[in-house]
Amino acid sequence: MNVLIVEDEKSLANEIAAFLRSENFLCDLSYTGMDASEKIAINLYDFVLLDLGLPDYNGIDLINEARKAGSEASFIIITARGAVEDKVKGLDIGADDYLAKPFALIELLSRINAVARRKFRITVQEVPLGDFIMQTESRKLFCKGNEVELTKKEYDLLWYLVLNRNKVLTRHQLYEHIWGNILDDQYDSNFIDVHIKNLRKKLNAHSATPWLETVRGVGYRVSTD
Amino acid sequence: MIKLKIKLAFFNLLSKLVFTALFLIFLPYIIERINLRQVDNDLVQKREQVIDLIAGAGIDPFISADSSDVFGSFNILKEEFISLERIETDEDINHIEVAVRLIEDEEITYRVLNYSFLVDGQKYLLEVGKSLASIQYARRNITRVILIFLVLIILITLLTDLQYTHLLLRPLDRISRKLKGISRPELFDRTEVRTTTTDFHNLDNAIRELMENIDQLFRKEKEITVNISHELLTPVSVLRSKLENLLLSGNADAEMPEKIEESLKTLHRLQSLVNSLLMIARIESHQYLREDNFSVQDVLKEIIEEIRPIADDKEILMTEEYLRDFQFMQANRALIFSMIYNVVNNAVKNTPAGGAVVIRSYFHQQKFNVTISDNGRGMTREQVVNLFSRFKSRVNPGEDGTGIGLAISKTIADFHGISVSVTSEPEKGTTFFFIFPENS
Repeated sequence: MNVLIVEDEKSLANEIAAFLRSENFLCDLSYTGMDASEKIAINLYDFVLLDLGLPDYNGIDLINEARKAGSEASFIIITARGAVEDKVKGLDIGADDYLAKPFALIELLSRINAVARRKFRITVQEVPLGDFIMQTESRKLFCKGNEVELTKKEYDLLWYLVLNRNKVLTRHQLYEHIWGNILDDQYDSNFIDVHIKNLRKKLNAHSATPWLETVRGVGYRVSTD
Repeated sequence: MIKLKIKLAFFNLLSKLVFTALFLIFLPYIIERINLRQVDNDLVQKREQVIDLIAGAGIDPFISADSSDVFGSFNILKEEFISLERIETDEDINHIEVAVRLIEDEEITYRVLNYSFLVDGQKYLLEVGKSLASIQYARRNITRVILIFLVLIILITLLTDLQYTHLLLRPLDRISRKLKGISRPELFDRTEVRTTTTDFHNLDNAIRELMENIDQLFRKEKEITVNISHELLTPVSVLRSKLENLLLSGNADAEMPEKIEESLKTLHRLQSLVNSLLMIARIESHQYLREDNFSVQDVLKEIIEEIRPIADDKEILMTEEYLRDFQFMQANRALIFSMIYNVVNNAVKNTPAGGAVVIRSYFHQQKFNVTISDNGRGMTREQVVNLFSRFKSRVNPGEDGTGIGLAISKTIADFHGISVSVTSEPEKGTTFFFIFPENS
């Protein structure tokens, strides 16, 4: 998929690009609004990651221009202005999602994937995990036909690990995804550990979970083949 | 506390009453003096008339020269009398006195004028009397009239005084009303108070100027906080992406990921610190909407659901006691959630294994209360004082949080007009009280 990264902070743009390229995206970079405006007019993008705080251009104008020109790109807004009002505004003006700086790269990837799934109506019905099967529509987990009762948080945690399978997720990344920014200050690495512990206990009662790994000193990972 | 207006009116009334009382004490005496003088004048006039009569007609019509008669005349009600008699004395008599006279077997007190004069070598004594009963009657009448008049005057002046001071103090009233309930300088109504009183004008100007200055300072401070936060978040963002990419690249060195994660952790602390400061600045500058109407009990249940796994893991007993629910109107649900969550989370953190945390909600004096109590390590008085300040409240260094959570809770509470208080005792535990305002 083609992604245009519009971000005036060059080193941040480059890091995002490096990450997305490693995830097999094709990335273009614009450090200015003018440049982005031209690139959107000429090329077809699936995604535009747009920093609202561009020095030379109002990011919202850029979206309007693109929509008028018939572009079907999905816009994901990146901003250091994390205020609620901005969030509402951002979604009102036709952006597909919104991320406050600083964000986790894997969170960005999950958002892109989520928008893509919505856009292309890709629905993954079932995800196999060893002896377990995750049913995404009903948000349920089964083991050999028996339902494993999970709390909402436990399901979300597992689903996020599964979405980012084969990657190590740090506790903070998991926390941020599940609890969001509003409780940022209350972050406690113990939270995630407790939830994983409970999750493991529930899963292990049904079957072994070698695919749910603890990476010492770093975080957790779901490994699948 | 009493209003200035009332105090002034009270003083006015009091001073009037004192003067009136003094007046009333001296009034009988004054009236008597005036009356007596009036009566005396009357008597002298009557004497002159009698003397004139005698001068014209001679003494005979009254007293014949050879008889030893006494001439006396009084009116039917015995209010006045005139008597003439011969006397044998060399002294000239001319005085007025109060004396009792017996008239038709009735003793009556009169004001009596005694006057002696010579007619044909014979000395006569003229007495002209006027009953004091009539004087006293007049005095009573006058006293009553004056009393009614005084009461009326007091009432009328009291009313006009009240009205006038009210009018006079209206600018002051307006100034004090403008200041009342102003929690933030930007809420201050800056329109000038119209007045012709110089003192009020100066006062109003001084206050308005002061408010303007404070407001500007506040604004500047908030602006700086917001700007600095933005500036800080960008480099944090860059660093974070770099470190995350490094972590994902799966370096062969076994120790590398751990070190990167440690750096990320430090960076997260910086990030959450900046975000917290930013959040406080935003709440203080009212960048959050207050449009939610929700049940506080639902919020409490959600919070407990979130924290229960942690409490269970630490073997802390969490109990909830809801006496009544409260629908909080025009508030920000996410912020209220965060406000209580911070405190509950803190309580669980600061309570050792086997301890207990109790969340209660109830109404007290028409106001909705939420309390969070623990039997944890508690705090000293100093710690309680510094609890809500932004960087002093760090109880346990080395934890993941930034220690700014309670400052955030306080800011959110202030934003919603919720009052927060804490009672704590070392080694016994801590209780937080949130007292919600009544919905307007």
